[in-house]
Parts: sequence; C-alpha cells; structure tokens
Amino acid sequence: MTLALNLDRKAEAAAVVHSHGVPHRRVEDWKYSDLKAALGEKGLGAVMAEWLVGNLPAGVEMFDLAQPNPPAWVMAHVARPTRNVMNAASLALSAGGVAFRVPKNVTVAAPLKLDFTGGGHVRGLLVLEEGASLILVEGVGAADFRNVGFEIVVGERAGLEHVRITPDAGDSVLVEEVSLRIAAGGRYRGHFAGFGSKLARMELEVALEGEGAQAHLSGVAVLGGKRHSDVTTHVIHRVGNSHSTQLFKHVVAGQARAVYQGKVTVAKGADGSDSSQTAKALLLGDMAEADLKPELEIFADDVKCAHGAAVGDLDTESLFYLRARGIPEGQARGMLLQAFLDDVVAEIAITDQRELVRTELLTALKVIA
Amino acid sequence: MLEIKNLHVAVEGKEILKGLSLSIQPGEVHALMGPNGSGKSTLSFVLAGRDGYDITEGSITYNGENLVALPPEERAAKGVFLAMQYPVEIPGVTTMTFLKTALNSQRRQRGEADLDAVGVLKLVRAKAKSLNVSEEMLKRALNVGFSGGEKKRLEILQMALFEPKLAILDETDSGLDIDALRLVAEGVNALREPSRAMLVITHYQRLLDYIVPDRIHVLAKGRIVAEGGKELALELEAKGYEHIVKEPA
Repeated sequence: MTLALNLDRKAEAAAVVHSHGVPHRRVEDWKYSDLKAALGEKGLGAVMAEWLVGNLPAGVEMFDLAQPNPPAWVMAHVARPTRNVMNAASLALSAGGVAFRVPKNVTVAAPLKLDFTGGGHVRGLLVLEEGASLILVEGVGAADFRNVGFEIVVGERAGLEHVRITPDAGDSVLVEEVSLRIAAGGRYRGHFAGFGSKLARMELEVALEGEGAQAHLSGVAVLGGKRHSDVTTHVIHRVGNSHSTQLFKHVVAGQARAVYQGKVTVAKGADGSDSSQTAKALLLGDMAEADLKPELEIFADDVKCAHGAAVGDLDTESLFYLRARGIPEGQARGMLLQAFLDDVVAEIAITDQRELVRTELLTALKVIA
Repeated sequence: MLEIKNLHVAVEGKEILKGLSLSIQPGEVHALMGPNGSGKSTLSFVLAGRDGYDITEGSITYNGENLVALPPEERAAKGVFLAMQYPVEIPGVTTMTFLKTALNSQRRQRGEADLDAVGVLKLVRAKAKSLNVSEEMLKRALNVGFSGGEKKRLEILQMALFEPKLAILDETDSGLDIDALRLVAEGVNALREPSRAMLVITHYQRLLDYIVPDRIHVLAKGRIVAEGGKELALELEAKGYEHIVKEPA
C-alpha cells in the first residue's frame, strides 16, 4: 500500500478499527450480520488477501499498490479517510492491493476482469477519468475470511458498468466495502448476484457529487441451507438533479437469511434529486428470513423519493393457474421464482454476464425450490 | 364422462356446495347458471383441483377415475381444462413460453414427445388467428396489461391448443362487450365435437344465445334447484332467479 507514503492514513484507520472493534450484532448496522461471531477467536487477522487480473484490456492502466513510487493518479485518490470500520480495517491491516485507471475520454471495450481471492485484507482502487467508460466484472472467491476495501471514482460524464457475482461460497466469511464517488454527469450501474456463504456482506457507499450524477444498483440473492447474504447501501445525494435507483430481490429457503439495508440521504441543497428503492423477498419455508430495511433522510426540497419493501410467499393463485394448465408443481414454482427475479436480471446490460447470472440463478433455484 | 354425486364442499369450514349431483356425457354442452354466491365458481375450482376446497361428502368421477385424488397438473394432462373467470397475470413469463411449457408438460405426462419451439409456434399461430390473438400479445408477459377481452381470448386459445376432453368455462362472458362475446363464443363453438364435453358456467342467459347448451342446471345455495333444456334459460331471463330458487328443489 505504498506504505511509506500512507503511514498517516494507516494509523488513522487503525485508530478507527481500535475504537470500534470487530462489528457484532449489537451494533445497529451489523444487527443481521454478526461478523464477530462468524470470525470467532481468529478475529480480523492481519494477512493480505490476493487479487488476480485477467487480460488487462487495452486502455486500462494498472498499478500494484504494494509497489513504491505510485503515480500521481493513485496518490490523488487512494485511501480516503473513512469512518467505516471494515473499510478502515482493510486499509490498516492490508499491505497492498491493486489500482486501475481509465484515462480521459477512453472507452474500454473489453471488460476488466478482477478477482479477489484468498484470505485476509486487500484494497482496490478504480479511477475513471472524465468521459471514460468501462465494464468491471468482479469475481469473488471463497476464503475463510476476506475483507476488501474498494474505492471507485467515476469522473465527469464517465460511465461504469459493474457486475459482481458471489458464488455459493460455503463457510466463507466475505466482507467488501465499495465506496464510490460520482462526478457531474457520471453514471454507475452496479449489479450484484449473491448465492451466500456463512457470512457475505457487501457495503456500498455511493456519493453523487455532481449535477446529473446517476447510480443504479440492483441485485438478486438466492439462498438455501444456512447461507447468509447482506447488501448494505448508503446513497448520498450531495447535489441537486442527481438520480439513484435501487432494486433488490431475494429468494430465501431453508434457514438462510437475506439482508438488505438501504439508506438514501438527500443533503441540504440537493434540490430536485430523485431516488427510488425497492426491496422484495420471497420466503420458502418457515425458517427462512429476510430483513429488508429501506431508509430515507431528506434535508432538501422538491425531492422525489420512493421506497418500498415487501416480504412474501409465492402467489398461490399464480401457482394454481400454471398447475391447472398442466405444469407440475415443482416446475411451476421454478417458473414463478425465475419470473420474480427476472426484471432485476434484465437490468444487466452486458449480454454474457446477464446470461451467466440467469443460468446460475436457475441452478440455485433448482436446488432450493 | 363426468359424474358428480352428492358433492359437499366446504371452504374454511363453511359449506358452499350442499349435495350437488351432475352428469355430463361426451359431446354434450351443459350450462350451469345461478345467482352470485350460489357456488358456481367453487364447483369449477373443485373440478380443476385448487387447494383450500374440502370435499366433505360425495364423489367426482371422470372417465371412470376418481378425479379428486389427482393434482391439478394431472387433471390437465388427462383432458380437464378450466377457462378461468379471472386469468392471473404473471410478469416475467412470456405468453409464448407459458403456452409451450404447458403444452409440453401435458404431452410429457401422457407419454408423448415434446414439440419443439417451431412446432409449438406453428400450432399456436394456426389457432391464434381466428381468435384474434396477435403475435404481439404472445410476446408479452402472460396476461400482463391484457384487456378483459384479450384475457378471455387467450383462455379460449389455450382451450383450442390443449384440446381438452372436458372444458369448464367459468363466467367466460363476464366483462366482455357484445363483439368480444361473439368472438369468444365462436371460438368455443368451433371446439364442439362428439368426444368433447363442456360445462359453461354463467350468470346471464346472454352467453347461451351464442353457445346453445344441451342442458341447463340452475344452482342455488349449493344445490341444483332446477334442470331443463335451453328454454329454461329464457324462463330465467324473464322471471329472474328468485322465482325458481323459491320453488322446492
């Protein structure tokens, strides 16, 4: 982590970690995701996790954060101060990570494939300069425990399409904090498909910092057994005429638990912002649990904000209709579950990723339905 | 083909059908009429196998088989079709995908080979035209945003596609204007044939001007209170249900 240059930041981050300790269920934000219990005696550790990059697409620059002499663009954006305890932990306890830049007005055609693997803490940085555009496909490998702190900067009129698929990661404890800053006219679309693990949490903090900035977040989770999946978002409209949408849907079976905590803050003066938030879950079975918590904080005028959450079971009328037309119950349930999730999947603009998610969902639904 | 004997059905402990008996032979079209709340839709759901209807007494035999023991999908595969009063909207499932899945599910249960996508499309197109079901409708999510008439036409299209042995039409006329009603009735009449039986459930005599039944049953308070030929519908239209319901069954 360009250690010599960032000792102060690391010390600050370490202080944040020290004062909060490992988050547990009595901390409001972590009520449904008891990290301390999941980690047990091993605690946070201080190992460095790894990262892997497929073929680096033309137009993308890369820098290894463990190396000395970082370029100016890294220094300008890396390791912003944070009060987020796990983000601070990834900074305090990791020795490196990876940084990428797409220079001004460069459109990268091929997707950038980035995998975080192994146990420990690691950092990521992605900078899209003014007018740049990129597709980021993020892979999530299994690990005893991994914590990723990922900073993303979307410049003016830049566009980022982000797809992150967490496969069924068994006993893994996976935590990631993505903090995004979006400048005027910048667009971010994030799609998150999760199949859960012992504890899987992704936090997204999105700051819409310029007029016309947009963030569209969507996600699906299909969970069975004792899997857990938590998406916690905080979208901050700092200026007016910024837009955000969120659409999350979960299918939860067995003793699994899906968590969606979404907070939208419209700051003072961010008049004319609009935001919408929808979270829905279908519970298959009495032991399945979904905790959906949309939240709004508005300090501005003339704001359009809508939010809603619903937890339910499969619609019995629809199920009967399909069965009465000859479709066996199991297959009919599968069709309805797929249909429930499909408007979210349709949000993924990249065809091969969309089809990949569709296939994975189908497989997961077959297992749990 | 269908033999209902002394059928008693309760919903959440409340008895709705109280000893209904009805017999339909192949090739016959029967009409079941009756005021609101008489149990008409309950009978249709019981025949199709919907959950939540407790048969406390009596029997339903279909082609010599105990129909009650079969789940809805098996009844469908064996030729029982219910055109529903309120077809459900299913976002996320396109109409064409639904038709293909349903058709092949029924075929599979009968031990027949699947039809491929092209085969299904050809079949659907051939039947869709006369019912004025457009290609565009077939591409849309099932019943989502369909008008009342479009939903009913799609029900009849399914009937034409699945070629049931016993078709039950539950208030297929409700919510239709006269042109839509005529179109739907023509679709139904085109499916009349010696091997197929139909039970047309309706509140009004109007539908029976277009689909002329062999026999009419009047249901009130869970029992058949009057039976007769097609002239019974005219009598009902003239004198109302109250006149007949009041007479001893």
